[in-house]
Amino acid sequence: MVENFLAGSASLFGDPMTIAIFVFGVIGGMLFGAIPGVSMLTLAAILLPFTASLEPAQGVMLFAVIYCTGTYGGAITAILFNIPGAPENAPTAFDGYPMTRQGKAGKAVGAAVLCSAIGGVASALVMMAATEPLAKWAIRNIGPPEIFALVFFGLAVASSVGGRTLWKGWMSVLLGLMIATIGQDPVGGINRYNFGLVDLAAGIAFVPAILGFFAVSEIFIQAEKKAVGKFDAPEVGMSFPSFLEIWRHRIAVVRSILVGFFCGILPGIGATLAAFMGYGEAVRWSKDKEGFGKGKLEGVISSETANNAATGAAMIPLLALGLPGGALTAMMVAVFQMHDLEPGPLVFYNSPDLIWIVFAAMFYANLSILFIGLLETKTILYLLKVPFQFLAPLILLLASIGSYIGRGLVLDVVVMFGAGIIGFLLRRSGYSIPGIVLGIILGKIGEQNFAQGMQMVHYDLVAYMSRPICALLIVAGALTLIAGVYKAVTSSLQEAK
Amino acid sequence: MGKLTISHLIETGIWFAIAIVFFAFSFEFNQPIEIYKFGASGWPRVVIALLLLVTCGNLFHMYLNGSASQKGRVGIADDDEGEASYTTPGALAKVIAILSTPFLFALSLKPVGFYFAAPIFIALVIFLFGERRWKWILGITVLLYFILLLLFMVLLNAPLPQGNVSPFYDYSALLLTLNTKLQQLNLW
Repeated sequence: MVENFLAGSASLFGDPMTIAIFVFGVIGGMLFGAIPGVSMLTLAAILLPFTASLEPAQGVMLFAVIYCTGTYGGAITAILFNIPGAPENAPTAFDGYPMTRQGKAGKAVGAAVLCSAIGGVASALVMMAATEPLAKWAIRNIGPPEIFALVFFGLAVASSVGGRTLWKGWMSVLLGLMIATIGQDPVGGINRYNFGLVDLAAGIAFVPAILGFFAVSEIFIQAEKKAVGKFDAPEVGMSFPSFLEIWRHRIAVVRSILVGFFCGILPGIGATLAAFMGYGEAVRWSKDKEGFGKGKLEGVISSETANNAATGAAMIPLLALGLPGGALTAMMVAVFQMHDLEPGPLVFYNSPDLIWIVFAAMFYANLSILFIGLLETKTILYLLKVPFQFLAPLILLLASIGSYIGRGLVLDVVVMFGAGIIGFLLRRSGYSIPGIVLGIILGKIGEQNFAQGMQMVHYDLVAYMSRPICALLIVAGALTLIAGVYKAVTSSLQEAK
Repeated sequence: MGKLTISHLIETGIWFAIAIVFFAFSFEFNQPIEIYKFGASGWPRVVIALLLLVTCGNLFHMYLNGSASQKGRVGIADDDEGEASYTTPGALAKVIAILSTPFLFALSLKPVGFYFAAPIFIALVIFLFGERRWKWILGITVLLYFILLLLFMVLLNAPLPQGNVSPFYDYSALLLTLNTKLQQLNLW
């Protein structure tokens, strides 16, 4: 492994063009992740056609680097503006934004930098050491029933955070699932809920929906505060977290690495669920549950470690099985295909150089988060000093471009602003925006894997539950659900007295 | 009525309406799939049923506790907790204008195009957000428009809506022609 890694590093840093692409990916991913309104997906969508003129290793490496640094970059906007750069940064905003309001933005961003780097580097190391055995384990033990079970567990966890009540948490998740049913059904390709619109046959693209629910609704909330005279600009806090503060949360870091890696390794799941589950597990095991959501450093640490830990793991199903774990890894498949390559087991034998350049680049990209991230943090914090009336049109226009570029449809921009208005109204009524977004992202994956799982076991529930990982996750999800309902009912009755 | 208010009933009514509309439209694609027993409508209908169930749970909570948050909930931002009250009709009008302007901008993209609509939109949003110094509005509009054109048109060549109505389309075409000439200079 060490020899291969050194060879990959030599190839990466031995060619000026490859170095330039690596640096562009690192800075581009961080910038696009950190600019409110656009995300790493916008950059990736714009760059996709250009990768045809690059070497295959350079193209795949560029996307892998953007994935690592963009996942971190999205935390900045989540913390500073309550606008997650990508869905995987949504739980970061739960505690990161309250910390900004309390003048602790520096601490939150510093923790995100450190923990993203720790999670990403740990994940890259495991990926390098164990891609093949892990891929073999995944092939043997993970199938559609397990993926559906994890989606169920993840949704149960997501409904328990965000939202004024458990009911509103679940209503948010179910609204997301409902939106995800628009478009063709994943089994028979039958059109559903397109209301006669041809563009809706492909469904609601999740990038405009996410931008609308997160970025646009936040702008509207701030606009409303300005209109009623309740707007107060957050304080700029420059103090970084001390080593001791991070060390105190070492267990949360390790737990989030494990959660993130497990979620990342499962095809189709990726970093979003990892971040939610990392956060959810931090809440579950904490002695101070009430502190979460009010500016607790552990919340930022848990979600940011987990989402970056998933980036390396997400490469395992992609490279070893050819199964992408999310939108960006799906674009990587397109890069492979542009160069007449197919990701899958054979790529390890046919193109080992490509694999090790990508592995080395991901390792160094995660390390560079630490150095560049710490350097840029203080500059980025000054964004808070820009008057909001000048930042708002920029965010709205960037979000419009980000929505339009994916499919080239004006409908997507309309959907984004529609989602913004709905998100604004739902947030005022105490619903969970991250819950809706998670429902949209996991809805199709959940339905497809449920259908495939049912077909696999010939609709026999006993056979379904006889798969140990599947049973474990379903039972864990059901217990979370039952405990949540019990708590909601008893607390409603107690508070009414 | 417990602690239920009219707004709680409207909120519940909207959720029921969503469920009913989606259920009614599910008959449009209620056809069997040969390889899948539950068909295309199975999953959406389960989601609808669950939505109805939790809406009842929500109604139960609101009946007992009104709009109060459930004790021990995590991840609720302070911004999401309170509902703003509009003391003047002007404030309400301002919020409605802010909500509708981006939507109108999106609808105008097809006929007018991004290149023409963007500067007007920038200036309008800055104005609606409370800025009244026209020199600042003008300056920031020009600056933001220039940054966006430089990044997405010149550097990234991103395809943006050009409009399909003259003279808006002609304006977009002019900008794109200038950009092509700039690219041909091979400055980088």
